[in-house]
Amino acid sequence: MRKTLIIALREYKAAVRTKSFIVSLVLMPVLMGGSTAVSVISQSKKDTSDKKFVVIDHSGLFSQVLHQHVKLRNDSAIFNPETREKIRPAYFVEFADPDTADPGKQKLGLSERIAAKDLYGFFEIGPSVLHPEKDPDNAYIRFYSENAFLDETRGWFANTVNNHLRQLRVAELNLTPESTKELFTWTNIEGLGLLKVDENTGSIRDAEKSNVVQSILIPYILVMLMFMMAIMGVTPLLTAVMEEKMERIAEVLLATVTPFQFMTGKILGSLSVSLTTAAIYILGGIITMQQLGAGDKIPYHLLPWFFIYLVFFLIMAGSIMAAFGSACNDNKDAQNVSFPAMLPMIMPLFVVWPVIQNPMSSFATWLSLFPPFTPMLMIVRMASPVSIPVWQPITGLIGIIVFTVLSVWAGARIFRTGILMQGQKPTLANLVKYVLKG
Amino acid sequence: MEIIELHQVTKTFGPVKAVQNLDLKVPAGTIYGFIGPNGSGKTTTIRMIMNILFPDSGNIYIHGKQHANARLEHVGYLPEERGLYKKMKVFDVLKFHGDLKNTKNLRSEIKYWLKKLDLYDRIDKKVETLSKGMTQKLQFIATVIDRPEIIILDEPFSGLDPVNAEILKSSLLELQKNGATIIFSTHDMNMAEKMCDYIFMIYNGQKVLDGTLQSIQNNYGNDTVRLQTESGIDALAGIKGIEKINDYGQVQELRLAPGAETQSILAGAMKKTRILKFEVTRPSLNDIFIRIAAPERKEESHA
Repeated sequence: MRKTLIIALREYKAAVRTKSFIVSLVLMPVLMGGSTAVSVISQSKKDTSDKKFVVIDHSGLFSQVLHQHVKLRNDSAIFNPETREKIRPAYFVEFADPDTADPGKQKLGLSERIAAKDLYGFFEIGPSVLHPEKDPDNAYIRFYSENAFLDETRGWFANTVNNHLRQLRVAELNLTPESTKELFTWTNIEGLGLLKVDENTGSIRDAEKSNVVQSILIPYILVMLMFMMAIMGVTPLLTAVMEEKMERIAEVLLATVTPFQFMTGKILGSLSVSLTTAAIYILGGIITMQQLGAGDKIPYHLLPWFFIYLVFFLIMAGSIMAAFGSACNDNKDAQNVSFPAMLPMIMPLFVVWPVIQNPMSSFATWLSLFPPFTPMLMIVRMASPVSIPVWQPITGLIGIIVFTVLSVWAGARIFRTGILMQGQKPTLANLVKYVLKG
Repeated sequence: MEIIELHQVTKTFGPVKAVQNLDLKVPAGTIYGFIGPNGSGKTTTIRMIMNILFPDSGNIYIHGKQHANARLEHVGYLPEERGLYKKMKVFDVLKFHGDLKNTKNLRSEIKYWLKKLDLYDRIDKKVETLSKGMTQKLQFIATVIDRPEIIILDEPFSGLDPVNAEILKSSLLELQKNGATIIFSTHDMNMAEKMCDYIFMIYNGQKVLDGTLQSIQNNYGNDTVRLQTESGIDALAGIKGIEKINDYGQVQELRLAPGAETQSILAGAMKKTRILKFEVTRPSLNDIFIRIAAPERKEESHA
């Protein structure tokens, strides 16, 4: 054990004393925070230049109402009421009589004006838009612009036109606007957790409101943190072991330590690097959330589970990486095996979303009890607002411990043979042979 | 008393028999030289002694105890190809290896050996900044930092200039004087002749020589003449009784045919040229090596 710890300590020092470690430690949150900041800034820096559009109204219903709504919007909604800063573009609408003789020519002409930046876009309202059931083919509203799909002008226009159509339809039914006030009221469903009995007082505790932070953000952050710790701490083991083999460092050390001590020392070193990083980020995250007044959202009860699962996840992944690395002879070999070696880390990410959406489904339950998936998926389920049975995290933990022991055993057998074997390719057949014959 | 003993050790790699039925006994406190052509089985034998490779059959004993699956303590090993962490500093490398070997008085040992091998001024330098010879000396220090009882060195002198080779040689002799048993493999026959108490030669995986230099040479008898003439090798043409000539330019080394008389060879040579030197001797280790390792090579023969 002493020798294993000496190797682990060397690995740890060699990793954390490098500039690249410090840079990546700082850079990762900066990049993540930076991308969020860019997103926020880009949203606040919307295009506020005025937009002129033409409407070809085959129905003849919208000239007045659109002019009214455009004026209303331009008067009340494009400036920040407090700062008077312009926050939205002003709209200018122009109506064109439909050219029934040659509609294509008319629309081409408008398209050319858009290309020449004289217009922003044009709408075409079908003649039967008020009664689509009678003539569905002519009940269209079309928008033509250079970026029609992602344009918010389209949404504003659709709301304005459809609201007016509803009013016209209500009027046709001889109903007063007051009597139809609640006809189109939409009631949202409020998401709540389950009611519980307060352990201290014995009273019934109200269900907590589900929110995006608890339901999605925290589970997702924990999974991504686990994945990043594996990427930062464990995946470099593959090339590091390969290089030590090729540079004969391994042979020198194997005169003093056993292959198992060598491998476990390296894994423990990488594990320590990952745990250091995870601790720094989690501590930073806790402080940040507290500063933002969101300290009550931090799932403190999950942190011990997170670190326990993280430790076994990294040991499992580390033994796989070290074993694959020991079987490689050059960078090409390492590139070839890096994807299969990373599969146990990547595969759980593919199913994280369905598990977040329905953490109590049998799919989520059984998959979270399957060892390579357990650390990530069980944490996702535990971080979700639902309460999962107590036996499941414990069973998952036992499973991952057994699987980790098996991984280390198989990895050590590959490592023992591979680390001194020259010229043999790291094929599946060779790896199986090393495991079976040792 | 034997400190290392190999009994009927065999190791194969696929169809290649790297070592076959090898018996070897290394007495404590001696210097044992392993010689043999490239690929003859020296490194495989050393790796099996070091427990890095396991023999297919046979047993290896250290201090009389079988050591399969056990890590060797107090055995220093310098492999053929050097391997050190290039980004580490010289001191850190030695501290790392010394800690692994549980070395007593580690800091003073580091200081002593760095000074002895003329590397003390590099103590804070990274390994990657050292020359090849310096790296080799550093690796040697890492090997002997805990003053092991047994020191096994695979080609320790290769790549060293004469000055550094001399420093390394004196370090080995000091360690032997303090009780260490030393095994080293080498292609430098001159160094093996001068340093080794015992010489072991392996060829095609089989032991072909084992004993003191004197006992090995005795097996070959006084069948060698070292000769220096004014005419060089040309003066030896046509002289009967010479089986083979190794021409070194200034000196010719003659191997006598069985039953040949040195006097008749001297007389034959004197008829042709002026003799500057004539010495009847036993074959050198180098000559013995060549006789074993390249018997099929038809060298210039005047028999």
